[in-house]
Amino acid sequence: MNLKLLSIALAAASVLSLTACSGSSAAAETAKKTLNIFVWTEYVPDSVIKDFEKKTGITVNVSTFSSNEDMLAKVKAESEGAYDIVQPTDYMVEQMINQGMLEKLDKTKLTNLGNIGGSYLKPSYDPTGEYSVPYLGGVGAIAVNTSKITDKITSYADLFNPKYKNSLVVLDDFRATIGMTAHSLGLSMNETDPDKLAQIKEKLLTLKDIVKLYDSDSPKSALITGDCTLGFCWSAEIALAMEENPDIQIVYPEEGAFLFLDNWCVPKGAKNYDAAMEFINYMLEAETSAKVSAEFPYLNPNTAAVALLGSEYIDNPAKNPPADVISKGEFVKNLDTATIAVYDEMWTALKK
Amino acid sequence: MKGRKLKSTVGPAAVMVGPVTLWLAFFVAIPLLYVFLMSFCSLDENYNVVFSFTLDNYARLLDPNYISIYLQSLLIAFLTTVICLVVTYPFAFLIARTLSKYKAVFYMLVIIPFWTNSLIRIYGWRTFLGANGWLNNTLTAMGIIDKPLDLLFTKGTTILGMVYCLLPYMVLPLYTAIEKLDKNLLEASADLGAKKITTYRRIVIPLTASGIFSGSIMVFIPCLGLFFVSDILGGGNSDIIGNLIERQFQSGNNWPLGSALSIILIAVTLLLVKLYQKCGGDLESLGV
Amino acid sequence: MKRQTIKKTEKTAGILYCLLIYLFLFLPIAVIVVNSFNATTTKPYLSWKGFTLDWYVKLMDNTPLLQSFGNTIIIATASTLLATCIGTLAAVGMYKYKFKGKSIIDGLLYIPVVIPEIVLGISLLTLFSKTNIPRGMLSLILAHVTFSIPFVIFNIRARLAGYDNSIEEASIDLGANRRQTFFRITLPVLAPGVAGGALLAFTLSLDDVIISYFTNGQTKTFPLKVMESIKSGVSPDINALSTLILIGTIFLVVLSQRSNMKKNK
Repeated sequence: MNLKLLSIALAAASVLSLTACSGSSAAAETAKKTLNIFVWTEYVPDSVIKDFEKKTGITVNVSTFSSNEDMLAKVKAESEGAYDIVQPTDYMVEQMINQGMLEKLDKTKLTNLGNIGGSYLKPSYDPTGEYSVPYLGGVGAIAVNTSKITDKITSYADLFNPKYKNSLVVLDDFRATIGMTAHSLGLSMNETDPDKLAQIKEKLLTLKDIVKLYDSDSPKSALITGDCTLGFCWSAEIALAMEENPDIQIVYPEEGAFLFLDNWCVPKGAKNYDAAMEFINYMLEAETSAKVSAEFPYLNPNTAAVALLGSEYIDNPAKNPPADVISKGEFVKNLDTATIAVYDEMWTALKK
Repeated sequence: MKGRKLKSTVGPAAVMVGPVTLWLAFFVAIPLLYVFLMSFCSLDENYNVVFSFTLDNYARLLDPNYISIYLQSLLIAFLTTVICLVVTYPFAFLIARTLSKYKAVFYMLVIIPFWTNSLIRIYGWRTFLGANGWLNNTLTAMGIIDKPLDLLFTKGTTILGMVYCLLPYMVLPLYTAIEKLDKNLLEASADLGAKKITTYRRIVIPLTASGIFSGSIMVFIPCLGLFFVSDILGGGNSDIIGNLIERQFQSGNNWPLGSALSIILIAVTLLLVKLYQKCGGDLESLGV
Repeated sequence: MKRQTIKKTEKTAGILYCLLIYLFLFLPIAVIVVNSFNATTTKPYLSWKGFTLDWYVKLMDNTPLLQSFGNTIIIATASTLLATCIGTLAAVGMYKYKFKGKSIIDGLLYIPVVIPEIVLGISLLTLFSKTNIPRGMLSLILAHVTFSIPFVIFNIRARLAGYDNSIEEASIDLGANRRQTFFRITLPVLAPGVAGGALLAFTLSLDDVIISYFTNGQTKTFPLKVMESIKSGVSPDINALSTLILIGTIFLVVLSQRSNMKKNK
């Protein structure tokens, strides 16, 4: 039946074009070396990646995420080994290790590891240090536009003042912002006691009218454009905002700040393990790390890079948080699913 | 000999309709079925889906936080639909009934903006409405205001964005319906002494009802799921059902809960469509 | 006299109203185009720092962006072709033949059109995840075909509404077989419907955000790349690309209108 033949031919042509499409992309990928990295937005400079591509001939595919939970969800939703490199924060490294989601890192390939300050190796979230390499860290600090806000802001608690209605930008990160609220009450960021959690929730909900914008990707934008005059942001974002607008000042909260340290990890089943090692080693180089800090001035655990950066970085309290801020601060820790559900519920109540 | 006897029609029918049947079965029916099943599943300690039947997810949907988000979504969708209708009806009327030779140009001018990427147009509104945006800077420079207007990251901004995105879905059906209006009917009505308002109220609007209904449905339903508008313009302050679902499939890591939300959303949608059909709406016209 | 002035004010009011609406529609476009000439170099690239054509030049160096646009074009073309083939066959087949289960297929067709895109997006993600179909160009094309097929079919059906079957019968009487009848009689009559459906499918695919967001894996389409850059501040080379695309589409529309008018002459 000719019509039948024709329809079959059409269908076959369509199927062929589909397979050709996926086939060619797969073939292209195996022909050249590629590397699939999954990193935080505003964290790895394009120029650094371009330099790596030029130096090694490896093509880097960059995907970005805005929160650790986003990253975890995407890595789980994809087939195993879809990403070669991920950038989890301290507590997320621990979670991923516990779930068996990470490959051990071959330290023999990481010749530049010595550049990292000794205190950062073998952290509590990765006691053997086999699964992660520190990248950058920082503080969830306060930003104040002093030309618009003349009161003296010194603590997280100050942010809850109703007179700052509709002027605050906070991180779109439930652990960070709930943690900030906990600190404003003198409680821990990793509170599990139900009564204390109820207190935190009550305080958190008062934030609702004060927050104008939830932004984990680029909170400095709202500060620079003037849409927000107060902020609870990543420290480097504040540093960059300060450079754009000198009226913006950074304040480290007296209750102790939210601290974070991000790491390079390789997910289980990564297809380009060797390229991943090459990449991590390249990022550990002093010059590379210095370039990164020039564009995204976070706390840098790479002591060799810090030496290259000089006083412009070292003496800037927004770029290089002072030691007492670090010692007073607290890291997020993993909590059991029941407690996380409570945090989740608080967050939904806030954002509705 | 007049006409050869045609062979049985089962073969050709299967060949022609077969591909679409298979496609719909595999890419629409089965995934939705799977989502339905997943809505009754739960999570283990590591946030992996496990097949142990539970109604917990649906129970969680009755959480007062969620209910206020549903209500907010419905309100935003309703306001968006009404604004779209009221604003575009006169416009569609004027364009559809113009005698100008540039009628086709006027029509195209409505469509052309929507060939630019919708995200970047929404971002354009952000640039325009910001504290240091075009509008505020112009008004300040002209001395009309001395403090920037607070226009961005509010619920109103979200509605503006939704209206902007969904406008063509209201304009096109209205335009089609209005174009079909017989001019003679309007003239007859005027001749019989009816004032313009009466003509509109009793002739034009009822006759274009099909356009009004399909436009309204095509605006209301997508509005419930357009999460990127509330993200970009609302600042995370005006979460709608779409945001809830998106969050469960992303950071929330809770696919069963997200599935339950989606099933409810489908149910609401089907209800609205049934309502639409009861009001005389034609399902076919929704896709054209 | 008074009637004439009322009519005139009505007319002016009408024109003003339409102009306002067009202003509303084109305002963001104006912002995009103007900002593509912004000489700013620091994020978030919003304050005006002078006029420059630099970003159009920098655009050519932005390989990931251009690649994402290329991906979008490939996906739109492939999915439109596939959807049009499947849809045309299906529309004609469903029109001509009666069979059991027709209403079920009909119902299934409405689902991608009527339900919010996010539901279709997550259900496809679930499917791809379960069946381990690689997320990337393949999953994107499959997803785009899925939401395009109903629109193709509905457009052709609208065309089929007044279809006179007797010309097909005449064709067969005159000795043509089914295939010849389909290609030389049926299709040409349906051509506007097929073209309309294909155009709609292509447009929907080009601008698709929500469904692509869930089914893309690591492949970037142009809308997704824009979404990514909105997070850090849209650099004006994206504005430049959007401006170029806009000019391109206007050009194509003018061309097709011209050829339409020629045809009608």
